[in-house]
Amino acid sequence: MDDQERADAFYAHVSGGGKVEADDWMPDDYRAAVLKFVEMHANSELMGVLPEREWILRAPTLKRKLALTSKVQDEVGHAQLLYRVAEDLGKPREQMLADLMAGKTKFHNVFHYPTRSWGDVGIIAWLVDAAAIVSQQALRDSSYAPYARTMKKICWEESVHIMHGRDVVLTLMNGSPRQREMVQEALDRWWGPLMQMHGPPTDPATDRDLIWKIKAKGNEQLRQEFLSIYVPRIWELGLTIPDAALRHDDGEGRWQYTEPDWAELRSVVTGHGPMSQERLEFRRTSHAATQWVRDAVLGASSAAA
Amino acid sequence: MSVADVPPTEASREALAQLLLGIADDEFVIGFWDSEWTGIAPMLEEDVATSSISQDEIGHARALYELLAELTGDDADAIAFGREPDAYRHAALMNHPRTDWAFTIARRYLYEIADAVRLEALARSSYAPLAQLAAKMRREERYHLMHLDTWLRRLAADDNGTERLAAALRGLWTDALAIFAPIADEALLVQRGELPEPMAALRARWLEQVTPVMAELGLPGPTPEDLSAGIDDGRTRRTDDFRWLHGEFTMVAASERGATW
Repeated sequence: MDDQERADAFYAHVSGGGKVEADDWMPDDYRAAVLKFVEMHANSELMGVLPEREWILRAPTLKRKLALTSKVQDEVGHAQLLYRVAEDLGKPREQMLADLMAGKTKFHNVFHYPTRSWGDVGIIAWLVDAAAIVSQQALRDSSYAPYARTMKKICWEESVHIMHGRDVVLTLMNGSPRQREMVQEALDRWWGPLMQMHGPPTDPATDRDLIWKIKAKGNEQLRQEFLSIYVPRIWELGLTIPDAALRHDDGEGRWQYTEPDWAELRSVVTGHGPMSQERLEFRRTSHAATQWVRDAVLGASSAAA
Repeated sequence: MSVADVPPTEASREALAQLLLGIADDEFVIGFWDSEWTGIAPMLEEDVATSSISQDEIGHARALYELLAELTGDDADAIAFGREPDAYRHAALMNHPRTDWAFTIARRYLYEIADAVRLEALARSSYAPLAQLAAKMRREERYHLMHLDTWLRRLAADDNGTERLAAALRGLWTDALAIFAPIADEALLVQRGELPEPMAALRARWLEQVTPVMAELGLPGPTPEDLSAGIDDGRTRRTDDFRWLHGEFTMVAASERGATW
């Protein structure tokens, strides 16, 4: 069997729902596509730590302090697991961290925005994590089996985060008028990035991640699932979603909404978001400040970063 | 004589409250400072570990504040977040920010040993709720101590690490000794068995444990001046660093007084 036949057989296997293990033979295109996907996911977990980390010192009760620290810790743990999955595909972790800090690789749009109040802590843990879990649940069926297995663990932890986020939001909504305003103001700012988060609709006939079943569902399908579950829950709490066009079209069986600002999404994920450079700089500064520790305990092997 | 024989007096209750408050504030403040490493620790593996330890400390602080709240009829969150900076009673060791990784390790090592000595004694307290809590905390603290001991030795095996640890430790001994600052009416607590041994005895046991390790690793131990320095204000001295931290952890609550979060 020549390489082309081997590749054809491989793609027939994954397209038909077959799974791939780390030590299985795989075409370079597939390996590169999985690596890119998982690396961005790992980067997003690591960068996703920063907006919430800003509130670890500000958590207002012992219970919130424990829940928030534990949530951020989980994200770090997810980054660690995902970098390990990516590493097995052939790129060392230090190289991935270096590329992230150099702005060569991407992370999710939502982590390029500022956090302004305790309301953001609730909205991020509830809705950003909810939007993420919709994608992540679909990734439990990924054709790349080590990734699928990792997603099972991550999804379980994310569901705990959503409960924490919803509890923060609910407490604020049951509080004073100013606390309710805090949530509404946060939702107003986060709605746009949330609607962009799953990305523009792609053509299922040409989206290789979809054809090779690296991901199991398309962007628009994920967005529709997110809206179906969470719009009623957001409304139920008495919050207003800042999109006058948002409604469920019963005839078509789908949500109608104002077209998300895809230009903003492209600009943000390429490093031009309101906090992109500041967060990368913070990551670089923190990494540089602890380089001596890695040098001391790992020796020369840490020099790459 | 056990506490069961002698009913608590107002003075003994106040002394017990001061003891609990000091330990709770130690755990609370070090837990806050070190939780700041979450997301930016030297390695991802260590990030998760150090965050776990900080969470344990906050969990211990919560249990101790709850114990105190039962005694005073107050609320754990109100005690933890509702005081002015000068009313906190943590030892001066916890006045400093996390600084660099060597400082974090050095400070925490001194603290973990002190905490182990203190908990070993408190697990024998005649005040049963405290004895039970101390026994539970010891199980977690044992792991912290192993972790910190490993880190101290790893850093001390490197020239740069040794230098940084030494720089951190040199100015830290009097602040660390403040963990064992005498508390008001301590004699009453000892007599009642609520504090099974005087602070001076715990301090001596702590020094017996930490000093040889410093000598072994070529790190600066306490000087005669450190050992003779007065520590009566060891739990009342506050710094601008702590006032800054206090501003952070009270910021949200201050934005809407009396609200539930």
